[in-house]
Amino acid sequence: MYKAVIIGGSAGSFQVVTKILASLPKNFNLPVFLCLHRLKHVRSGFVEALSIKSALPIVEPSDKDNIRAGRVYLAPANYHMYIELGNVFALSTEESVNHSRPSIDLSFFSAAYTYKNKLIGIILSGANKDGALGLRKVKEAGGLTVVQDPEECQVKTMPTASMAATKVDHVYSTDRIINLLKSLA
Amino acid sequence: MEITPEEIKLFINTVRSVSEYDFKDYSERSFSRRLEKVLVDNKMTITALVAKVRKEKAFLEQVVKDITVNTTELFRDPKIWQALRFRVLPRFENQSIINIWHAGCSTGQEVYSMMILLNEMGMLDKANIFATDLNTDVLDVAKKGEYKFRFNIDYLDNFDKVIKENPYNYEDYRDVPYSKYFDLDKTKDTLKMKPLLTQKPLFRKQNLVKDGNIFYTKFDIILCRNVLIYFNHELQTQIFETFHQNLFSNGCLILGIHESMLGPVAAKYKRRGLVYFKK
Repeated sequence: MYKAVIIGGSAGSFQVVTKILASLPKNFNLPVFLCLHRLKHVRSGFVEALSIKSALPIVEPSDKDNIRAGRVYLAPANYHMYIELGNVFALSTEESVNHSRPSIDLSFFSAAYTYKNKLIGIILSGANKDGALGLRKVKEAGGLTVVQDPEECQVKTMPTASMAATKVDHVYSTDRIINLLKSLA
Repeated sequence: MEITPEEIKLFINTVRSVSEYDFKDYSERSFSRRLEKVLVDNKMTITALVAKVRKEKAFLEQVVKDITVNTTELFRDPKIWQALRFRVLPRFENQSIINIWHAGCSTGQEVYSMMILLNEMGMLDKANIFATDLNTDVLDVAKKGEYKFRFNIDYLDNFDKVIKENPYNYEDYRDVPYSKYFDLDKTKDTLKMKPLLTQKPLFRKQNLVKDGNIFYTKFDIILCRNVLIYFNHELQTQIFETFHQNLFSNGCLILGIHESMLGPVAAKYKRRGLVYFKK
C-alpha cells in the first residue's frame, strides 16, 4: 500500500544507510529517496560508496528524470531535490535551508505532498534539525513516520528534533527499520 | 503554511493579466515553495498578496524577483569548467570571433568565470560576451562584479581547480595569482572583479520565456546552467528549440551537471559528456 520511502540523515548516518541498502532485496518495488547531508568536499564518490553493498541501483537523479520503483535516488550535492507531481524529479539551486543543500525538509515536504499517506518517512542520525519539519509534514499528510532510536545514533540531534516536532509513529533501531522495509517488498 | 493548487493558479493568472510574466510552466513543487516563502517573508495571506500584486506594479516586480532563484557561484562544478578548458574552447581557438551567451546569468559569477578562463587561454580579446537575466537587481550586481568574500570562500578552491591545476597532468600547475582578476578586501569582506573583466560583457534584461534571442547574432556557446530546472518539461523543450535556432552550426550548449534534455528535442543535439553540440 505504500508507494515510496524517503530517508533523511546527516552526521553518523552513512553506515546506517549502507546497512539498510545492503539488506533491501533485489525485488524491492518502491522508489527510495535519500537526502543526506555530506561534507562540502565529498561531492563525488558517494554513489559508488553506497553502491558497493546495495542490490538496488543507486542514482543521483537529473532534473525531470522519471521516478521508477526499485531504484534508490540520492539527492545530488549542492542541489535541493523535489519530488514533483507526475512522477518526476525537479532540482533546485535555491538558497540553503537549515544550512543545507540538499535540505531534508524540502525533499520531505514535496514527497509528503506528492505521496500523501502512501509515504514512509525515516530520519536517521544527524547533527542538525533539518528534516524535523519535513517529517512532521509526512505525518500531517497521513504517511508513516519513523526515526532511528536516538540511543543508537552517533549524533542524536536530528531524530530528537523530529520527535519534538511531531508525534512519530515508530522509534526504531536500524534492524527494526530494516525489518519494516523488508516487510514491504 | 501550505498553499493550494487553486491559490497558485489564482496568483499565476493575476500576474499574467497585469504583467509580462508568466509562471504557468514552472515546476509546480518548487514554485509553490518559492511562493510560500514570499508569503512568510512578507507576512501576508495569498489573498492579500494577489490583491497587492494587482494594484502595485513595484510590489509585483519585487515579488517576481523574490520568487525567481538567483544563486550562482564562481566556477560552480569545476568539472564542467575543466571540460570547457580542455575539450570545448580549443575547438574555437582558430576562429577570429567567438560569441558567448550566458542565459539567466544572475549576479554574473559564471560570466566572470568564463572570461577568466578565456583570458588564460588567450581568447578573451576575440570573445563577445552577452549576458541576460529577467531580474534587473541581479544584473546591477553583475555589472559591478563585487561579491561577499568569506561567505563564498569556496570560490578560491574552485579557481585553483579550474585555472591552476590540470586534472590530466599533475605536473602542469600554473600559479596564476587571484589578484590578476579580482581584489580581495578582507576588511570590507569583498571580492571585486577587475575592470579588465567588468568593462567587457553586455548585460541586458531579457525574459527567456517570451523574448527569445534579443541580440542580433548567433552564438558559439550558450551557457544556461540551473535555470531551466525551474520550468516544466514543455517549457524546457521550447527553450532548447530557441537555443538550437540561435547556435552557429558547430555551436554548443552547456547546462547544469544535473540537468537533462528529454524528448524529441534531444535529437537536435549531439551530447558529448556534459556538453550539447548542435547537430
